[in-house]
Amino acid sequence: MPKEIIVDPDLMRQKATLAFAEIPVNAYATPFAEERARRGDAALREILRHMLIIRAFESMLASFKATGSYAGISFNYKGPAHLSIGQEGAAVGAALALKPEDHIFGSHRSHGEFIAKGLSTIAQLDEPALNAIMAEHQDGGLLRSVQQHIGGEGKALAENFLLFGLLAEIFMRANGFNGGMGGSMHAFFPPFGAFPNNAIVGGSAGIATGAALRKKLSGSGGITVANSGDGSTGCGPVWEAMNFAAMAQLDTLWGDKKGGLPVLFFFNNNFYAMGGQTIGETMGWDRLSRIGAAINPASMHAETVNGTNPLAVADAVARKRALLLEGKGPALLDVECYRISGHSTTDTNVYRSREEMQLWEAHDPIVLFERALLDEGVLTEDSLAAMRDTVAAQIKAITSAAVDPAAAPIVDVRADPTLIGRLMFSNAEIPVPETPAPLLAAPETSARIRQNAKKARFGLSESGEKLSAMRAITLRDGLFESVLHHMVNDPSLIAYGEECREWGGAFGVYRGLSDILPYDRLFNSPISEAAIVATAVGHALEGGRSLVELMYGDFIGRAGDEIFNQMAKWQSMSAGALKVPVVLRCSIGSKYGAQHSQDWSALVAHIPGLKVLYPATPYDAKGLLASALSSEDPVVFFESQRLYDVVEQFRTEGVPTDYYRIPMGEPDIKRVGSDVTILTIGPSLYSAIAAAEQLETHHGLSAEIIDARSLVPFNYDTVLESVKKTGRILLVSEASERGSFAMTLSANIARFAFGDLKAAPRVLGSPNWIVPGAEMETTYFPQVEDILDVVTGEFFPEKRSNRRGVRDWNDLDLARRAL
Amino acid sequence: MDIPLLMPQLGNETTEAELTEWLKAVGDAVTEGEQILVVTTTKLSMEIEAPASGTIKEIVVPEGDLAEIGATLAIISTE
Ligand SMILES: Cc1ncc(C[n+]2csc(CCOP(=O)(O)OP(=O)(O)O)c2C)c(N)n1
Repeated sequence: MPKEIIVDPDLMRQKATLAFAEIPVNAYATPFAEERARRGDAALREILRHMLIIRAFESMLASFKATGSYAGISFNYKGPAHLSIGQEGAAVGAALALKPEDHIFGSHRSHGEFIAKGLSTIAQLDEPALNAIMAEHQDGGLLRSVQQHIGGEGKALAENFLLFGLLAEIFMRANGFNGGMGGSMHAFFPPFGAFPNNAIVGGSAGIATGAALRKKLSGSGGITVANSGDGSTGCGPVWEAMNFAAMAQLDTLWGDKKGGLPVLFFFNNNFYAMGGQTIGETMGWDRLSRIGAAINPASMHAETVNGTNPLAVADAVARKRALLLEGKGPALLDVECYRISGHSTTDTNVYRSREEMQLWEAHDPIVLFERALLDEGVLTEDSLAAMRDTVAAQIKAITSAAVDPAAAPIVDVRADPTLIGRLMFSNAEIPVPETPAPLLAAPETSARIRQNAKKARFGLSESGEKLSAMRAITLRDGLFESVLHHMVNDPSLIAYGEECREWGGAFGVYRGLSDILPYDRLFNSPISEAAIVATAVGHALEGGRSLVELMYGDFIGRAGDEIFNQMAKWQSMSAGALKVPVVLRCSIGSKYGAQHSQDWSALVAHIPGLKVLYPATPYDAKGLLASALSSEDPVVFFESQRLYDVVEQFRTEGVPTDYYRIPMGEPDIKRVGSDVTILTIGPSLYSAIAAAEQLETHHGLSAEIIDARSLVPFNYDTVLESVKKTGRILLVSEASERGSFAMTLSANIARFAFGDLKAAPRVLGSPNWIVPGAEMETTYFPQVEDILDVVTGEFFPEKRSNRRGVRDWNDLDLARRAL
Repeated sequence: MDIPLLMPQLGNETTEAELTEWLKAVGDAVTEGEQILVVTTTKLSMEIEAPASGTIKEIVVPEGDLAEIGATLAIISTE
């Protein structure tokens, strides 16, 4: 809602028809002689050799899958093999036009792109640079295996390093590029410009877009490429990514950072998903490139290109790359090529006719290119045969080594049972940021900051009265202070989400920041939860830090894959080579009913690879957000909308004005007691405190209240110590009980504190039905009375009085009825 | 006639707000609907409009102070 862009009714009411930028189809017409003169014969022969390497490499995998052996080597390869036989022209053509600083992000079918990009980078870097890369990776471990078991000198050594590192990864060996944690569909090696390949169809679109944003902001140069298939044009997140990359504000509002994102959406269009045929069956488009017209007035500079001709692809990629570097991105290429091999090795081609497959035999990129080189005399039959032999020998040498555990050791989880676990998090934090970032105005000039400066840091008056949210620092202010510190002192950090700028986020946490921070640090994103999270991940993988917001936790579903598979996994799937410093803030709602009030913290806590925080006080919120923003690991940070206005009531020194961090994973005793422990998550803290006061005055019971603060990690010590003393524990959270995080805590406490418990741990959550609207909410979220009912009714039956809460039901009976 | 400018209700739970900026001074002419004051709650800033045309006779609550919902913030004289 920038005020400088006026919505003019007169303009909007004018009669007009929309024109679309034209989308060329098969425009390439450069005569071969011209390409030959420009590139030279040696370069043309290299194009063929690179295609042959990919073909031989993938044929080797096909042979293992089909027969259990290849070139006399027996091996049982258990993993996937989505081969791109027939698509090599697209991969090699694209790589030919890319520079080492360009970064590709791929799909499940990306061996070819990976090899092509690696070979292209090796061709362009000098030997000292290559040697440095190889010596640094795994402290030279992979390089030593290659030298010892395969050999090679100079660039030949680097090629062996590339192919062996990939194959060892496909075989999930310890010295594969990703320590065996990625495998066939996720092999990558950033130093050669090959970033994560993604087994989630279209998963790379948003990630490459975020990486392009980082490239643009850091000025590191180059472009990013989102490789995916034609089937991925049916994926919502791909559309979200393309729209995000084309946001008009990049041109209209980004001042000296003006210009589109340097991302190329490169669709390897092999006409089929697995069996679903895109043209004529599953899609509305007739040519894939048409979708560019839906995104922006430039039609994303889209083109359909003949993917069987690497020179046509190289020409198109080079032209798009130039546009992207001029700030005219994003761009889209529909690169048509035919997958000769099946989708996977179990594909029996029931969805396509033999005739069609025969028609395309004549369009095999290798057959076509070989013929062109022979016809033009760039190559002789003999030199072609020699080239084929050399490639075959190279792949055989690499394969012999990769199946040999002496050269490619297995990942020995039995010998080291937590080996994979230790890769989940780096547990590293950056130092307190202190690199001043360019600002629009000094923070002191902000009305918000001046307002906060007048507020009391502790929320209770001397007589113990609660101060209003206008007079004391609130949880919202605590969050703001940490964000402010990181944003003004760390230019690599950017913040965005829906309505984050002028509005300050739907709940005003960032209110005032838009006066201080330029658009390239804080912006309004489209309503694209998937793109918000995916771009944050891409921005982080490319070396930036991301702070993004989902307006409501209930929208996590819209970004499910991006949170669960992308944000959570690249640290571990890269065996720690990549870091994902992303903080995802999610508010947990209230009053708006079933789709706006759910505590879904257990969903994210369930996913390995995410740290999950849920503070309930201003002091904790400020300190934990500072830790989250410093974390090299991804963090999901929950905030209760009902608590944004709470003032600090526990820490009498108040919320420090200065920057501080609170370590993640440490539950905090908010009230000391001896008869019963109440462990709370989120806003239940306040009901528990109120209940504790009543238990004390009316029942003579002393309750110890512990605020979980953090779900992942979670140090049980404080809780177990407490239970040792009290022997009873009640866990209270606002999540519906079934599968909630309180249930996980309860099960573990029952196990670890069994000897100390006088009663089974009891979970009090919300019922397993929809959150009702505001009027009925108190019948849903656990209330003070519900806590009193459980403590007096179940733990201390002798103290029981009449039921006060609404929970007059039998949990076993409800469970039988799916409730 | 003297018309008071009152602190409006700014959401269900808001009890008071800060007067962030007076856009008009005593003696200034204002027209009904014109923005004359910026107030800020814990969540948002908003501009408050003049309830009537006239001149500002008195500013009751100065910039930077807090005022409760319903409090008189200024007096507009319509003569
Ligand atoms: C989100 C998601 N849905 C479904 C799948 C299963 N799947 C794997 S590949 C594939 C077909 C993808 O087709 P396309 O994007 O055209 O790429 P191609 O396989 O043709 O290279 C499907 C449905 C998946 N991996 N991810």
